[in-house]
Amino acid sequence: MRHFRTLLAHELRTALLSGNTWAAAGLFLALMGGIHFFALLEGSRIASERTPVEATLWFFWLPLLCVLPLLTMRSFAEERRSGTLSALLTTPASTAAVVWAKFLAAWAVWITFWLLFTLFPLLVQQRLGTPGDTRLSDPSVLWGGLCFIAVSGLLHVSIGILCSCVTRSSALAALLAFISLLALTAAGGAMESLPIESWAWLGWLHEPAAHLRTFAHLQDFAGGILDSRPIVLYSTGTLLCLGLAVLAVEGQE
Amino acid sequence: MNVTKPSPEAAVVAEKLTKRYGSLTAIENLSFSVAPGEIVGFLGPNGAGKSTTMRILAGTMSGTSGRAAIWGVSVALDPAGAKRNMAYMPENNPLPEDMRVEEYLTLRAKLKDVASERVSERVDRVMADCDLARRAAGRLIGQLSKGFRQRVGIADALLAEPKVVILDEPTIGLDPHQILGIRDLIRSLRGKMAVLISSHILHEVEQVCDKVVIINRGRLVAQGRTDDLRRELLPDCSFTVTTRADEAALLGACHRSEPAATVTPLAATTAGWNTFRVSLPADSPARETLAAELAIAGISLREIAEVRYGLEDIFLAATRRSPTEPRRF
Repeated sequence: MRHFRTLLAHELRTALLSGNTWAAAGLFLALMGGIHFFALLEGSRIASERTPVEATLWFFWLPLLCVLPLLTMRSFAEERRSGTLSALLTTPASTAAVVWAKFLAAWAVWITFWLLFTLFPLLVQQRLGTPGDTRLSDPSVLWGGLCFIAVSGLLHVSIGILCSCVTRSSALAALLAFISLLALTAAGGAMESLPIESWAWLGWLHEPAAHLRTFAHLQDFAGGILDSRPIVLYSTGTLLCLGLAVLAVEGQE
Repeated sequence: MNVTKPSPEAAVVAEKLTKRYGSLTAIENLSFSVAPGEIVGFLGPNGAGKSTTMRILAGTMSGTSGRAAIWGVSVALDPAGAKRNMAYMPENNPLPEDMRVEEYLTLRAKLKDVASERVSERVDRVMADCDLARRAAGRLIGQLSKGFRQRVGIADALLAEPKVVILDEPTIGLDPHQILGIRDLIRSLRGKMAVLISSHILHEVEQVCDKVVIINRGRLVAQGRTDDLRRELLPDCSFTVTTRADEAALLGACHRSEPAATVTPLAATTAGWNTFRVSLPADSPARETLAAELAIAGISLREIAEVRYGLEDIFLAATRRSPTEPRRF
């Protein structure tokens, strides 16, 4: 446990001092700021069932695909390329401690980005909102949506970490993470849009596909519905990815 | 020291170590040991399997078969236990460029289970021992010269006062002053830690090591003290002779005392003086009387000196020998 704490503190410090993190933060805030601005603009012109915050969160996939791979790509790939991972593994610290420390540090940075995003609706509410009318910041949607980001982020970050474990190239790790996250995010929706129920030989896929509906999970969380199934899905997926990451690191070393 | 376990007979044990990559065999049935406090040179041509062996001993790579143990702890069965007794500096000494020396060593000390209250003391100590304290402690590792980077690697290796230190090419790329510094540092470890050191600079190894292990094509070809290896691998006795006599005259004179003697010209004639190498069988009594015999035969001598074979000659003789016939001493 001491190794894990030491490694986690080191990873957080490294992330804080890394230009890569700051570039990713800038990109994230620019993306989400832009999306939120257009959501506010749209909301002011057309009456919609969705609040600006809800409309903005609906685009969570954009930073997920463009920013998260930037955060995780270097975690192992760069260390393997430079050889510092081998040096790290000559200490009594276990591979699992190294993987979990890198994972939790990346997850913490990812959540910090989203917490920074909350400043947008809160500032808009403070500047433009009227007392008693919280539609501009919609706290229940905002914090519910952030809970979804935090829970699903466990799996998303672990996928990024796993992708970084299998290559020495940071760029390739980012590309692998992009493709994997795109597949995961789109899979549920794509499978649902297909009439697989009517295809006898694919009918069995309907039930699993229903569990992969990422956007439905966001809707549930933002609507205040706490369903245990997506939580189990994301947490078991996370454990699976991190387990594979440990095996990948040990296998390559 | 981290471990209170009593001192084992051997600090490092490699027993029939084998590593295969598909059809390629990197090392095969490699067996050797390092005693506590002993400094052992690990030699072999490029691609002989030195780094592979060191990585298996360090626990960063698993062997295909065989046994590796550090201070009595199996590297395969208890890697964390073995790593607590051992420090490994890999070839090229990879270091994080964006950390400061003191900060890096502090992190490594914590990861190497140095007691929290001793971390600062140990970091200061190894920085002082490796001459890093005044000029490099606060500098970014990425800005350090090659020599200082090597020093950081060695300081890291010494941090937790391990029983065993494995250094893969610690002097590679260093200038003669830096090599001298590293040599003194390694020499100061004699009796305190078992050191296994690989190097291509054979002169360095000869200066520092108590014993050498020589491998070729993944197999052990020789191990033992340099003097023992010299006697075993290069049993003949040679002299360098500088004389006015020609080769035939010298050979004739040598044959008077030793019929099996051979003469090889070494250097071109300069101002009438020729240099030859005279080789005699190991047990020839002529080795003690050659100079007198040559004088009696009227050979005018300017110089006669016994050739002392260095580690380089031993290394060449050992690696020329068939790797299918490993020898032990």
